[in-house]
Amino acid sequence: MSSLICQRQSLTFRARSYMAFVFTPQPPIADWLADLDATLERSKGFFAGHPVALDLSAAGLTPPEITQLTASLAERGIRVLGIEGIAPHDATPGLPPLLRGGRGAQEIEIPEPAAASAEPAPALPPQKQEPASLLIDSPVRSGQSVVYIEGDVTVLGSVGSGAEIIAGGSIHIYGTLRGLAMAGASGNPRARIFCHRFEGELLAIGPHYKTADEIEASLRRGPAQAWLDGNTLKITAMN
Amino acid sequence: MNLLSLFRRGSAPVARERLQILLAHERETRHQPDLLGVLREEILAVIARHVAFDPDKVQITMDRGSTVSTLAVDIEIPNRRRASGAASQQLSRLALSAGSAATRSQWTNGLV
Amino acid sequence: MSEGKSARVLVVTSGKGGVGKTTSTAALGAALAHLGQKVVVIDFDVGLRNLDLVLGAERRVVFDLINVINGVAKLPQALIKDKRLENLFLLPASQTRDKDALTEEGVAKVIAELRTKFDWIVCDSPAGIERGATLAMRHADAAIIVTNPEVSSVRDSDRIIGLLDSKTEKAERGESVEKHLLITRYHPWRAARGEMLSIDDVLEILSIPLIGIIPESEEVLRASNVGSPITLNAPLSAPAKAYFDATKRLKGEQIPMQIPSESRGLFNKLFGRKAA
Repeated sequence: MSSLICQRQSLTFRARSYMAFVFTPQPPIADWLADLDATLERSKGFFAGHPVALDLSAAGLTPPEITQLTASLAERGIRVLGIEGIAPHDATPGLPPLLRGGRGAQEIEIPEPAAASAEPAPALPPQKQEPASLLIDSPVRSGQSVVYIEGDVTVLGSVGSGAEIIAGGSIHIYGTLRGLAMAGASGNPRARIFCHRFEGELLAIGPHYKTADEIEASLRRGPAQAWLDGNTLKITAMN
Repeated sequence: MNLLSLFRRGSAPVARERLQILLAHERETRHQPDLLGVLREEILAVIARHVAFDPDKVQITMDRGSTVSTLAVDIEIPNRRRASGAASQQLSRLALSAGSAATRSQWTNGLV
Repeated sequence: MSEGKSARVLVVTSGKGGVGKTTSTAALGAALAHLGQKVVVIDFDVGLRNLDLVLGAERRVVFDLINVINGVAKLPQALIKDKRLENLFLLPASQTRDKDALTEEGVAKVIAELRTKFDWIVCDSPAGIERGATLAMRHADAAIIVTNPEVSSVRDSDRIIGLLDSKTEKAERGESVEKHLLITRYHPWRAARGEMLSIDDVLEILSIPLIGIIPESEEVLRASNVGSPITLNAPLSAPAKAYFDATKRLKGEQIPMQIPSESRGLFNKLFGRKAA
């Protein structure tokens, strides 16, 4: 009897980076939660489905208080991806994992709900088909970060090396992309990235990304678009 | 300063000299209070005991050299007999040499 | 000092260190003073004083910016008048280790007081994007972004331009700081051989108007060695002439841009210094 020799393939581990909102609660926590509720009133469901990290470096909470806080946030539909700013010994097993090495981005303004109709209807969740679009009519400089989960972002100018554009929808750059562009951040697989001249550092649609190294050299310095074909990020030249 | 000699030597020796003087002073003052600074404060305190003056009207200039440093203290002291149009007298220049050893002070033009 | 002036506040900044901010501050300040303007140059580098050295005033520093902010000295007591140009004054940086002493309020008061007494306030920014740099640009009406035709300098300049559009009082009021690109350390022969980013490359990436191109030259080093701004020490040299042109453009004159050329440089090298 031949014995079945099972060869197990070695597991490969890959790293991925995701953008997350960071909450930095300040004591007293009850007041901070009240402020959060007020913000959520203005823009219902804004954080639903988005990864949220908790920076507890200023909060001074004990482990049971940390557990309590994550439960309070879960009640509000906010799921905590990870926690930073606490000592490793304070991280009890039930808590979300400890995060390290977060890169800071610019502050994000929670937008007021569009006051289109006079009706005091509750604000629609972001996935509804409202053509939301952000226009930036100047170059985006190195170190600047544009985050617009509601829809498309159009830049009339170049995006500098070290700058980031993160859009829920598509990204249109009427200039040279030298930095990072991430489209479809809200989970829309049909989002695309277009630029007049590609010299970028990283392109991503949803969780699928390619760094400059992984992108064909022939595509650089010319017009290009990126889109998802199934689970593959495709980048081609545009004429 | 002889310009021609500057060109012949190059400007590096000038730089070297400036740096030597400057760093000598900076190293000295790094770990102990600046002698001229202390002198300045004490001189003003002494004068304040005898004459009233506006501390804002005190002008202090310094020139730190390799062997001789000069501290000049100019103070406007209002005349006791006030004629119209503010008359003021300047305190004479106090020249000190600080360096290896002795400190000399010279008073010129006397005080009224 | 005549009252009733309202100075233009100019920041000389770059992000990257060592590209020529202090040299340019001294050169431009001296050029403005030479053209009859009343100028004060302020060194915003806390802990690493440089501007006084480049201006040859290092032996005469009594009080500095932080002394004024702390009330230890009044502004007129801290200002050092240049021995060669009567319209040029220096407010030196502090050597104190306490950089927190440089406060936003303190700087605002100093600038406000200087505005009434000078035509130009030129702020020499330290490198980086920390407090010294952001305070140096805070009150700027105009900015000179000093850039070498080199990749990291260009990227850092881009970052600084972004900050000029967000961290200045003008930006906060919805107005915009006038931005001017000053390219320094330009090597004509390296550019000709394509071994250096071209002026057009830099302009295309940074998208701000060009105010001058300063060629690399021994004269710059010589000037700093003897403690005299290059526009004073060697006014007929190529870099000094470029600085004078930039100064005139700052004042609104239209001067055609001259790209430093290879042949002139060689000529000077071969014949200039050896003459007489």
